[in-house]
Amino acid sequence: MKKVEVDFGLCESNGVCMGIIPEVFHLDDNDELHILQPEVTPHNEHEIREAVRQCPRQAISIVED
Amino acid sequence: MTKPKLVFDPFSKEFFDNPFEIYRRMREEAPVYYNEEEDFYALTRHEDVAAAFRDHETYSSARGCDLAMVRTGEVPQRSIIFMDPPDHRHMRSLLNKAFTPRAIQSQRETVIELVDRYLGAADPDHFDVVQDFSGPFPVEVITRMAGVPQESRQQVRHWIDTSLHREPGQTEMGEAGMKATIDSAMFYYNLIQERRADPQDDMISRLIAAEIPREDGRLGKLDDIEITGFVVLLGGAGAETVTKLVGNAAVIFASYPDQWQKLLDDRSKIPAAVEELLRYEGPVQYNVRYTLKEARLRHGTIPPGKPVFLIGAAANRDPEAFTDADTFDIDRDRSQAQNLGLGYGIHSCLGAALARMESAIALEKLLDFMPRYEVDSGGLQRVHMQNVAGYSNVPVRVLR
Repeated sequence: MKKVEVDFGLCESNGVCMGIIPEVFHLDDNDELHILQPEVTPHNEHEIREAVRQCPRQAISIVED
Repeated sequence: MTKPKLVFDPFSKEFFDNPFEIYRRMREEAPVYYNEEEDFYALTRHEDVAAAFRDHETYSSARGCDLAMVRTGEVPQRSIIFMDPPDHRHMRSLLNKAFTPRAIQSQRETVIELVDRYLGAADPDHFDVVQDFSGPFPVEVITRMAGVPQESRQQVRHWIDTSLHREPGQTEMGEAGMKATIDSAMFYYNLIQERRADPQDDMISRLIAAEIPREDGRLGKLDDIEITGFVVLLGGAGAETVTKLVGNAAVIFASYPDQWQKLLDDRSKIPAAVEELLRYEGPVQYNVRYTLKEARLRHGTIPPGKPVFLIGAAANRDPEAFTDADTFDIDRDRSQAQNLGLGYGIHSCLGAALARMESAIALEKLLDFMPRYEVDSGGLQRVHMQNVAGYSNVPVRVLR
C-alpha cells in the first residue's frame, strides 16, 4: 500500500499541494498542513504525484507502507 | 557555413541583449557547458537544472551565488542564500513564517494602496512602466515589512540598482557598487541599533529577538552583521524582481496582444499569467553553485570544486519540458514541468507568495490603466545586471 508522507521540517505552508488536491492536503487557519487522506489510490495518484513534484520545498513523498 | 563558437559570457552585451538564443544553443550543443577561459560550467536543460537545484549536497551555495564570489574562495558573509544545511534550515525556519501565502495576505491592502498611488499619479501619455510604477512600488512593500522608515525606502532601491549594475565585460562589482553596498550596510547597521534600543512591530525587531541553534548546539542570537546581511538580501530580492517581472510583462503582452485581451476578458486568468511570465521571461536568469563533489549528468560530468551556473531561465524554455516553449501562452498546461522561475529546492524563493501577489495586483491595475497600449520600442532600455534581467525603461503610450 502506498501512502503520502510530509516532511514537516521542510514544509513551509505554501499550499501548492492543497491547490492541486484539497481532498488530501489541507492548510488550517494556523498555516499548519494536515493530511486528510494518506492513502494513495488509483483515483488520486496522478494528482498526488503532481503535488509531490510541484511542492517548492520537496516536502512531500510517496512511501510504500 | 560554420556556426560561430558557442560562448556563454554572462557579462557580455550579446547576453544582456538576448540571452535566449545563447540558451537555445547551449541546451542543444553543450548541455554541460564548459567555459575554458573562465573555468566554469553551466547547465541549461530542464532535467539537469531542476535536479541540480534539488541536490544541495553536490551543488553548494556556501561559497556564494555569483561567479566572482564563488571564485574568490573566501567564505562569504553569513546570509541565508550563502548557506547549506543545517545552517540554512535554521535561518530559513526563522524567516518563513512571515512569508507564507496566508501571512502575506496582511500586506494586500498596502500593496493595493501603493499600486493605486503610483498609477494614480501616472500620465497616460508619458508613462514608463518601470520608472513610474514597477520600480518604485515593490521596494516600498518589502522595506516597510523590514522596518525601514518611509523617507529611506526609495534610497534602498537606488543602492540595490547600483550594486547589481555591471558594464559589459565587468564581472565584479565596480567602485560605485562597492560604495552603495557600504552605504546600505551602514544604514542598516544604524537602523538595527535603533531597533535594539526601541523595538517595533517589524522584521528587523523580530530578527533581533530571535534565536537560532549555533554550532555548539546552543541557541544564540543573531549579530548585527547577520541581520544586516539578511535585510540587504530582502531588499534586493523583494524589490528588483517584481520590478523586472512587471516591466517584462508590459513588453511581452505588447508582442502578444491576444494574451492581453484574454486577461481583459477574464481576470481570473491573472494568476496563470503571472506563472507564465515567470516561465517565459522571469527576472532571475541563473544562480551559481559550487560543486562539492563530482556531478554526474546524462551528458557529462563536472569535477569537484567548480563554479556551475544553474540557468533556470534556459530550463524554462526547454522544449523537452514545455510544449512550444518559446511561445508565451497564459493558458498553457502548467503540469507539464516544474516552473523554475522562483527557483526550486531548499533555496527556492522565500518571498514567492509576496511576489505572486504583488505581480497579480500590478497586472490587475494595469489592465484598468492601459487596456490598450503600445510600447515605444525605441525607448526600451535593458538593465545590465548580475543574475537578473529586464528593463530599466519601458515607455508606453496608452491608446484611447
